[in-house]
Amino acid sequence: MLGIADYLWRLVPGNPILLRVVENAGKKRRDAIIRCGYLGLLVIVVLYTLVTGSDNTGDLAALSRTSTVLFQQMSYLQLGLVALLSPIFTAGAITQERDSQTYDILLSTPLTNGQIVMGSLLSREFFVIALLVSGIPIFAVTQIFGGVAIESIVYSFLIAASTAMVTGAMAMAIATFKVGTRRTIFSFYLFIVVYLVGGYLLDRADFFHLTWIDAAGNKVRTFTSWFTALNPFLALPVIFKDKAHLPPNLADLPQGYQTWPLGWYWTSPASFYVCFMLLLSLAMMVPSVLFLRRLAQSTTSIKGWLLQNLRLSKGDRTRKPRPVWHNPIAWREARTKASAARSTFLRYGFIVLGIIGAVVLLAMHSTELTPALFINHSYDPTKNTLYIEGSHQPEIPVAPGVEVKIGDAPATLDNLYGRYEVANFTQDANQAIATIDLKEYPRKLDPDQARSWLLGLTIVEFSVILLIISNAAASTVTREKEDGTLDLLLSTPITSRYYIWGKLRGLVAFVLPLLAVPVASSLIFIVHDVARWLAARDDNFQWIVFPEAMLMMPAMLIIVCAFAAILGMQMSLRCRTTVRAVMSSVGIVVGACAALGWCGYSVLQSSTAPELAAAIGAFSPFTLLTLLIDPYQFAGNGFNINAGTSYDPPGVRIVAFVVCAVAIAAYAMGIFSMYKSMVKNFDMTIRRQSR
Amino acid sequence: MAAVIKTVNLTKRYGTLVALSNLNLEINEGDCFGFIGPNGAGKTTTIKILATLLQPTWGEARVCDYVVGYQSRSIRPLIGYVPDYFGAYEDMVVQEYLEFFAAAYNINGAQRTKIVNDVLELTDLGFKRDAAVDGLSRGMKQRLSIARVLVHDPKVLLLDEPAGNLDPRARIEMRELLKELRRMGKTILISSHILPELADLCNTVGIIEQGELLYSGPVADIVRRARAGTVVHVGVLRAPEQAAALLAQHPDVESAAPNNGYIEVALKTGVRDYSFIPSQLVAAGFQINLLREEEVNLETAFMRLTKGMVQ
Repeated sequence: MLGIADYLWRLVPGNPILLRVVENAGKKRRDAIIRCGYLGLLVIVVLYTLVTGSDNTGDLAALSRTSTVLFQQMSYLQLGLVALLSPIFTAGAITQERDSQTYDILLSTPLTNGQIVMGSLLSREFFVIALLVSGIPIFAVTQIFGGVAIESIVYSFLIAASTAMVTGAMAMAIATFKVGTRRTIFSFYLFIVVYLVGGYLLDRADFFHLTWIDAAGNKVRTFTSWFTALNPFLALPVIFKDKAHLPPNLADLPQGYQTWPLGWYWTSPASFYVCFMLLLSLAMMVPSVLFLRRLAQSTTSIKGWLLQNLRLSKGDRTRKPRPVWHNPIAWREARTKASAARSTFLRYGFIVLGIIGAVVLLAMHSTELTPALFINHSYDPTKNTLYIEGSHQPEIPVAPGVEVKIGDAPATLDNLYGRYEVANFTQDANQAIATIDLKEYPRKLDPDQARSWLLGLTIVEFSVILLIISNAAASTVTREKEDGTLDLLLSTPITSRYYIWGKLRGLVAFVLPLLAVPVASSLIFIVHDVARWLAARDDNFQWIVFPEAMLMMPAMLIIVCAFAAILGMQMSLRCRTTVRAVMSSVGIVVGACAALGWCGYSVLQSSTAPELAAAIGAFSPFTLLTLLIDPYQFAGNGFNINAGTSYDPPGVRIVAFVVCAVAIAAYAMGIFSMYKSMVKNFDMTIRRQSR
Repeated sequence: MAAVIKTVNLTKRYGTLVALSNLNLEINEGDCFGFIGPNGAGKTTTIKILATLLQPTWGEARVCDYVVGYQSRSIRPLIGYVPDYFGAYEDMVVQEYLEFFAAAYNINGAQRTKIVNDVLELTDLGFKRDAAVDGLSRGMKQRLSIARVLVHDPKVLLLDEPAGNLDPRARIEMRELLKELRRMGKTILISSHILPELADLCNTVGIIEQGELLYSGPVADIVRRARAGTVVHVGVLRAPEQAAALLAQHPDVESAAPNNGYIEVALKTGVRDYSFIPSQLVAAGFQINLLREEEVNLETAFMRLTKGMVQ
């Protein structure tokens, strides 16, 4: 019994690895600044909510409502920071295999596998856990005003803590099983971002919600989805008892879903999330504990072992040399980074998945559904009659002043020649058609949905590409500084101009195949639309993607990628370490895109001058994508079908086209000036960092 | 003979730390110059300045009459720099690595392929041309480093501890390769801690300590200079302290003290004859079991000239 107690004591409280970190934790200035910043943010949220709360009447009920809002905002902030900081602090574990000077020493001590794994994990999580604990007093403020159950606060902390724990356990497992390198750190961040954001977005699709017909014959749809119990940002609103995220009652669920664990999964997603993530952490840590030393002794990684057994590699690390370009710097950036086995797999995976996604969207958009009532070129002008399929009436005469509408827009008699779903029609006393409301022929994915999905797809693809190029650019010089290859290059006749230009050219060439994916996705729709347009020759033809996108999209996406690359290189040149350069560069790119996007979307949605809105929107890549793919939803005023304008006002499109060209020129000038400045300061900056 | 490398009062400071202090160095064309000094003496700093990677704080460094800092662009094609680390690129094989650096020297097309093949043959790396550079052994990596600096056929080679951490076979192979390069007429500046090999390889050496050049000149000269006071090792069967005290009283003896089981007898400058030692000891009843003049080589010369002080 004492032996177990002693083991457990040594495992966590008396763990020397953890103790070393805990003892030194208070001494680091950077950690103190981050902690103060975090607490400062929480305090600002508290003060802001209290001052600007909508219920400032002073009565207790109002204060309790404000307290609820306060709790929600602080919980989101806490979870957001944990989701951001936890990968940063735990990702270092991935490279411990590489930086193994201390790791090997640890393995040669009498410390048990459990102590090493738990010590490494908790020492990396310590900062995040300390951050969470430091916020408790501020959360306690909500208890003064009431309105928030203690249980909710506990759940809020548990969700954040389990998120931190699963992130750390994942990093430790990657490190133990030798499947990670320095580059894996970025993939690790990317995976977490895609998981969190992707889950959040997919939750909005009906497909992932449960639907069934209840006893009364009504169609019931759950507010929560299959992702709610797996994503912290979806599990969190459940504890707020938010009506939009209310889980179903067990008794209401269909029979098959009432049994454990599905019943638990659907009715209590927050507790399921916490338990599942903690169990998942445990599941990832147990093999690490069991096999830590055995894996450390092995000379091949799991990846190498797999590749050899699948006969994809001979294990001797040889291959045919590739031809080197005249500019070796550009060649290195473009070719060697892209040709690593993992990169090749990810690049082709990205390209194939992106294209498959677009083809599936197009296939769904092209697949027509048979509506209850429809017309199919069935207007006979000679007899002035219309045959409406499904109406169970023979050819119906059309009244002389018939009112035709397509959607909400007025249309003409000519439209009766087309192929539309008939939403509604009325007949006059002579049984002639007096009004007829037409709709686009229904498809598995109607045009609005196709645009929304395509826009979502291209935005996600471009965001991933931006993150990839920012990371590659930010690590490009620092990595050479760290491994010493920069000195080798600087002792050759390569000039700073040649070096920086080579890097920029190589980085852009590196992402060109990836950029082809969103462009090709749009091109598929444009080709499809052109074929439809040629067949229909309809004045009110609705493009899924405007054809000018073929010129604007590639130019804008390439120039923005080049801009992100030069920005990342600037950071890479200035920062001493790769991690700092990557964090700064990605932060700036994300911040700039968010700011530009926010401004652009605000203007698009609120401006009464559509041309001005289009002009401002065309400056940001994300709003430009919106203008080209889905303007009807986001740029309402410019493309407002209710305002009596046509679907795609040419004026607005011309303005967007011209301003896009101006924006590209502006980005190019920005790139050129940054390039000149880097060339000018290159020697000075490098020399200052030399030791 | 023209000085290919010349430094005049070369000084380098890192904040308050003086890494180099008024270093005056001259290396002639075709010389193989061994740069010797304890860790932190300033060898790497000197080599980095000559490789145009650092700017001197004061003084001047010239390579082939071009001034470092002002004419660095003209210097770079003339030098080949091998640092004390490898500098491996991930995801490159040996041939790509060499072609990459050949392209950096603007060597392209068929000429590049020919040069890379020649260099691979010269350094015996042809059989590794398809191997990943980061998977090579340390010896192979050092060999590849030498191959890298040969692709542009430089006049001057700046080698910072190229034999560090190599096994005996790799070291011998590296030494033979460097001898071959010397025969080809390259001017070589090499820093190393393996002094017997430097003595074998170099015709001139420089000893640096705490950023100051203590000696620079031919190897034979430094040995001669270190030999200035002859040292004799004497072994007696009993009472070495008394024997040492007896010898210390002799007018030709500078000092005599027991050391590691024998008596180290330093004679006064100019004294070469030490036949008085056995006669005096035997006369005093001591039994002698060792009498040997200390061999003076580069290692002993280095130990005598430096104080073992590091920065």
